[in-house]
Amino acid sequence: MDSKEIENDLQQPQILTLEDDFAVIKRFIDGDKSAFKILVKRHKEKVRNIIYITMNSSALVDDIAQEVFINVYKNLKHFRYDSQFTTWLYRITVNRCKDYLRKMNVRKIFSPLDEGSQVTEFPTPVEENDVSKIVMDAISQLPVKLRIPLILKDIEGFSYQEIAESMKCEMGTVKSRIFRGRERLKEILEPLEKELMH
Amino acid sequence: MSRQLNKMELISAYLDGELSQTEKIEVEKLLESSPELRSKLEELKKVKELINKVKTIPESPYFETRLMTEIESQKSGSEKSGKWILAAALVLITLGVMTALKINPNLINNIWEDQKTLLSGFYKENLKPVLFAANLTTDDIFNFAVNNELPLDNSRKQYLLLGYDDSGKEFFEIRTSDEKLKRESYNNFIAAMKLDEEQKEIVDSILVSYCEALESQLLVNDNNTVAINPNLWNYRKAIFADLLMTAEKLNDKEFYKVVPGGIDLNDRVKIVHAVERLKTSAANEYIFVTPDSVFTDSYEFIHEEHQIKILEVEKQIAVHEKEIEQFNLSIRYDTTLKHLSAEKRISTQFHISVDPNICRIDLPEHQIPDAQFPDIESINNMIEVATNNIHFYAYKVPKVEKSNTGIKFKYYDGDSVHSYEIEYGELNLDSIAAANHQLDLYRLDQLPPPEPFNDSMLAKYQFDKDYYYRYYSNEELKKEMEELQKEFHQFIKEMKDWRHEVHKEVTKSYKK
Repeated sequence: MDSKEIENDLQQPQILTLEDDFAVIKRFIDGDKSAFKILVKRHKEKVRNIIYITMNSSALVDDIAQEVFINVYKNLKHFRYDSQFTTWLYRITVNRCKDYLRKMNVRKIFSPLDEGSQVTEFPTPVEENDVSKIVMDAISQLPVKLRIPLILKDIEGFSYQEIAESMKCEMGTVKSRIFRGRERLKEILEPLEKELMH
Repeated sequence: MSRQLNKMELISAYLDGELSQTEKIEVEKLLESSPELRSKLEELKKVKELINKVKTIPESPYFETRLMTEIESQKSGSEKSGKWILAAALVLITLGVMTALKINPNLINNIWEDQKTLLSGFYKENLKPVLFAANLTTDDIFNFAVNNELPLDNSRKQYLLLGYDDSGKEFFEIRTSDEKLKRESYNNFIAAMKLDEEQKEIVDSILVSYCEALESQLLVNDNNTVAINPNLWNYRKAIFADLLMTAEKLNDKEFYKVVPGGIDLNDRVKIVHAVERLKTSAANEYIFVTPDSVFTDSYEFIHEEHQIKILEVEKQIAVHEKEIEQFNLSIRYDTTLKHLSAEKRISTQFHISVDPNICRIDLPEHQIPDAQFPDIESINNMIEVATNNIHFYAYKVPKVEKSNTGIKFKYYDGDSVHSYEIEYGELNLDSIAAANHQLDLYRLDQLPPPEPFNDSMLAKYQFDKDYYYRYYSNEELKKEMEELQKEFHQFIKEMKDWRHEVHKEVTKSYKK
């Protein structure tokens, strides 16, 4: 057993090296499947968070995030290095969320919403924090096309350029949607101002 | 209208720092001249601030493990048979599947059974004794015998707690605490038993002799699995009984404080038998706590094989000393376990409750192989009495919190938390006197007048265990102290009256 194996044997936490995403992807394509784990570790929390706030629910977060990463795993070999890996990843995430929201809307039409027992939410800090919950509920009332750019900008801190690439639209559209999203959110939150002030 | 809208969008982008230098200057000019735009900027700022208050979702420590299992199972599924497609469906549970489940509730059980076989193999891979990694000390083993706690890693922040519920059924908890698990009870015990260095070494050697056996009782791997051998409950009792027997041999006089009357000959024989049988028995049934489920399964841990590995690791220890010191096991249970149990995917065998710091698993009846060791059961009473008494020696320094009205003490004892609250008005004078050497109890009138909510004097208040012992074991002293307290109360009353008088006088003269 050499020293490297022993380190693994002792379950050393992996030290995050400065290797960038492109280098890790290259390793993966060259056959080192463990490189995929690095990508997941690096980006999973951001992906999970985008899903969480877009869906306004914690119940499906891990299922959707898993689908996103499986999609990435299957298609990584076709990755062209012409854009950031994250742009591609977030595009998949955003599209997957849209699919789910669409499915949920269809379901709403066909069945009454009494399926709380099927999708049990586990407690999240949001439930303990009123302001956070109120704002999240308000965000969920925005149309998807306004909701996603606003989340990417104000919660995830993306630039307009990155949002435009993730959503495959023009920068001008992003700018306009973010403004409209904020305006709409202000209208939704206005009647709740008292609760938000404490 | 459209121009106005355009301006507003520019203001929004200005807030995000997304404008070119020229646009920025232009917007700043506009803002200067238009109160309407300034108020719009304020509005948008407020909305942005509110959005920033949205909390992020808690991390999911098992996400990667599950994802990799899923990818593996999809791969093997496409290679081997269609059976695993069903298993994959469990993880990739879609709304469509959920509707199907509603129609056919048995489907999920079938999938779960399939998945379990796959997962059980996955989670049993590469199990290692965690206690080797946790670097158990004699303190830890003593603490395990007395307080039922075993640290799970070097940081001493995660530990396993064994317990019994009201009906006597076993449960265990994996606890995470912000503070290091720190018990000084072993040294207190040695001091209370009045054992010298040489005698302590004998007790040490007894404790150390269990190290190896304990190692195989608690295993972990990097797939976040914890495997617990139910025999651990028996080991706890055996170590404790063995410890008691040794202590009695070394100093019977002091030992009678722990077990009044001592251990009778019959029990001694039982203990020796039970320990012997326990050490030689091969109990290969483990309870596996994994991110996806809790189940029992057989697993053979071959100590010799592991021993060889350990020897090799030890050779490298000098090289990796630093890493070993920093070793920090990350067993983190998944809050979705609760989610799973709610959906009854786990067999009803185990009851699981989870909160942010504790994952508790209640065992079904007859899980502990007690029938194999009837001797241990028969000395239960003696162990229970001794456990209660030993806590007096295995005294834990409590956590002290100060507030405006008093002092709170909190200490953890086994699985329960004891908390006491003492208001400043009720503080024991003599302990204050002990901590403040210059204080003359007979000249209290020379004390500076007390100020409300000023606890500078109380800061020196110490929780002194010898004082505690003397106070509660010496009736005479207790009476004396009570007298002194009464005197002090009288003194406070007099001071108050006196202040009242002075106040009256002062206001009178003022009125004049």
